[in-house]
Amino acid sequence: MIESQVRELFTGIAVGEPEISRVDTELARRRGRARLRRRRAAAVATPLLAAATAVAIALSVGLAPAHPRAGAAASGNGPAAPRQFNPLAPYLSFGWLPAGESVVMGGVRRTVVSVEAGKKPYSAHGWDLNVYAAGQCRITPAKALTCGAVPPDASTHIVGPAPAVNGHRAWWVGPDRNWWANASLAWQYARNGWAWMYLPNMYRYSPQQIAAVKREAVKIAGHIRYGAPTLPLVFPAQLTRLPHNWRVSSVVYLRDGKVLRARSYALGASRPSLGADGGLDYQSGLPYFTIDPASRKTPCSGRPGSTSEIINGFHVVITTDTTPRQELCAAHADGLTLSVSASGSHPPIGVASLFRSHLRLLGGNPANWVRNPFG
Amino acid sequence: MEHATTNGGFPVSGTRDDEYTEYVAARLSSLRRLAAVLCDDWQRADDLVQATLTKLYVRWSRVRAASHPDAYARTVLVREFIRERRSPWSKWVSLTAEMTDPPAVTTDHEAVLDLRAAVAALPARQRATLVLRFYCDLNVDQSAEILGCSPGTVKSQTAKALDTVRRALTPVQNPGAGSHPPTSAQR
Repeated sequence: MIESQVRELFTGIAVGEPEISRVDTELARRRGRARLRRRRAAAVATPLLAAATAVAIALSVGLAPAHPRAGAAASGNGPAAPRQFNPLAPYLSFGWLPAGESVVMGGVRRTVVSVEAGKKPYSAHGWDLNVYAAGQCRITPAKALTCGAVPPDASTHIVGPAPAVNGHRAWWVGPDRNWWANASLAWQYARNGWAWMYLPNMYRYSPQQIAAVKREAVKIAGHIRYGAPTLPLVFPAQLTRLPHNWRVSSVVYLRDGKVLRARSYALGASRPSLGADGGLDYQSGLPYFTIDPASRKTPCSGRPGSTSEIINGFHVVITTDTTPRQELCAAHADGLTLSVSASGSHPPIGVASLFRSHLRLLGGNPANWVRNPFG
Repeated sequence: MEHATTNGGFPVSGTRDDEYTEYVAARLSSLRRLAAVLCDDWQRADDLVQATLTKLYVRWSRVRAASHPDAYARTVLVREFIRERRSPWSKWVSLTAEMTDPPAVTTDHEAVLDLRAAVAALPARQRATLVLRFYCDLNVDQSAEILGCSPGTVKSQTAKALDTVRRALTPVQNPGAGSHPPTSAQR
């Protein structure tokens, strides 16, 4: 008797699966790669290699002090870092990259701008740059660099000085031991603002190769352009007639030829209330979008509780789950595949209404995409 | 690094990342559902799946070599759930009211609420045991393998969990009153 009730309960929970997942496969892969690097490096670490690396660090043109002072985040000369970023402006570009590498993806939140360069997206051999807004990073008394809210986006130890980047103090950061397994270069790109760049996987690199990667890192860091024009960030859809205080709060983009295509983005009207994940800041009641060029695959599968409708001539699947969350999924809408979601019991504008009356699809041709997501 | 495999669950060739991505894309939904049943909260479920996917990536060579990759993934997820519940994080990370799940589906009966609350109050390992037995429909031996314990422990944990739920659902008897619990009017 009780067993069957428990079965029913579990089934009832499972059928309420939200259409849009906060699970970020790419984030999992990146974290997994980082762990692999640490493990592999630990496995092959020998006293000889450790000594060689120590020598490599020592030979770096490190003019900075051995460790920054705790609370040093506010130090530094020159212009201050932005207090926050404009999610519609990618802000960062690489002035120099190793041959064959280019920007593959990135994202902008109010507090941090990210851009990844490499030969292909999510490569273990790419350069992953994160630039934080003013006051987002600090040096702890334990000589760790911590950035972001609690829990921090990133936190790791400063292992030694790096060559100055455009006159700004810089440090190699990473795990206490075998730092090359997850090595990063961190520097103050402006007063009160830190940049943090993960280096490519250096698993089983010789000391000479490690030194070469470090030189490349310093060169890349020295050529980064802050606030300069980038490839245009464009949106394959426009929102219309929304409350005047609704803004795009965060964007994740993919490089698509000569544009940066906003693949997913969230709206916000005040501080994010549901935290951040997968590069987006979420706010209860306000929608977030994922839009891709339509493919043959049909990602909109109906579930118990889903309803199919025709809206504006497009077949859509609408699901209201118990999270609570509303989701609308359109597999083939004017050359696009999109999902619109909104968390909360009573979003100000439901997803169906958003799709029907507030969303103008611009088709699959990048030439028609626009920089302004609001029409 | 290219792999070649005849493992039926994976592409014949491709990089580790390609295989991983393909596998996760195909199984994400079922992993999320299992996580949601374990956590009784889709937000936490997504966090749990996120952590699980990271572990699966790290252990990908074992996943792809496993005779039942899905069972391996399920094991990682369930053990991660139990591990998380033991960690101090789970004690002080609280969700806001907006993120709290409402009662199950639309059958908003008090009984369902009570049952859900009773199951939610179970220790993580007991809840995991119930989920494996009554949601995944695994037998005692299979559940024991996933939980890393003996079949006898699974049996005792199942019995204990069901007993706890049953007792939680049994109305408190009012001494001196009849066998029925007091109605709200009586209260």
